[in-house]
Amino acid sequence: MATPIEQFNLQPLVALKLGSVDISFTNSSAMMVLSVTLITLFLTLSVRSRALVPGRWQSMAEIFYEFIAGMLRDNVGSEGRKYFPFIFTLFMFVLFGNVLGMMPIPKIGFTYTSHVIVTFAMAAVVFTGVTIIGFARHGTHYLRMFFPEGAPLATAVILIPIELISYFSRPFSLAVRLFANMTVGHIILKVMGGFVVSLGAFYLIPGVVPFAFLSAVTVLEFGIALLQAYVFTILSCIYLHDAIHMH
Amino acid sequence: MGLGFRIGVELVAGVLVGTGIGWGLDSWLRTAPWLMVLFLLLGGAAGVINVHRVMRGMDATIGLGQAQRRADQAKDH
Repeated sequence: MATPIEQFNLQPLVALKLGSVDISFTNSSAMMVLSVTLITLFLTLSVRSRALVPGRWQSMAEIFYEFIAGMLRDNVGSEGRKYFPFIFTLFMFVLFGNVLGMMPIPKIGFTYTSHVIVTFAMAAVVFTGVTIIGFARHGTHYLRMFFPEGAPLATAVILIPIELISYFSRPFSLAVRLFANMTVGHIILKVMGGFVVSLGAFYLIPGVVPFAFLSAVTVLEFGIALLQAYVFTILSCIYLHDAIHMH
Repeated sequence: MGLGFRIGVELVAGVLVGTGIGWGLDSWLRTAPWLMVLFLLLGGAAGVINVHRVMRGMDATIGLGQAQRRADQAKDH
């Protein structure tokens, strides 16, 4: 029987090598391409009619747009408008990755947000970008946020390293939160699925119990897929706010 | 799962990043293992500060002073 973590294996679909680096096109890459294609198709086709009174598909696209636009307005303010394309892309990519990961897609079915390197790459881009924006807007004044105003100068020796570590730990906690939630959820689903098969094969009635539980957990996992995409995006917005306003 | 999990992540991330910075500085300055020990402790402190921030609901701000000021402002309003 398949182990619960077998679903996270990368399977090369097209083996590629660049020097000694393995750059194979894997099932993870296939899912990323699929989600980007779906996002592009969804957003371009649904707004093609450009109706003043939106139809069904257009309202769906507008809901996404207004959701992120509202999030940016509330958390970053009017200066955040410039960063809308990035935040929107980030949200859609994470959201589609989480939700498509729940779909039983043959051959390439995979949750790319369940790999820590993927989430860490996104968190690192957010972190680097926010730091650059902070320095670009405030210059060296940005460094002042590592030392609380009014604290005795003698405490700087210990406070500044602590604040620096706290600052550098942010991309890690951002990445681990998304990755761990997706991984744990998918392992639970697989383990429960194993219970359904192994119990249901011998006794029908006990098999129903884990099946009911599995159904409930599946609904919960869809909720977590949406929620974690939201959390990842809103934290990026809040980091952006701090870089722009510094207070 | 949400809050408890976040607290665990914040604590561990602080310690790991602190240790990582210390290890990097050690191999650069050839002072092993002293900076790693020092930064392990500082990382622990940073983790505790992060947890404190999560519990106060001001986790997203940089710098404790900033966070404190924002919390005070929120109280005034």
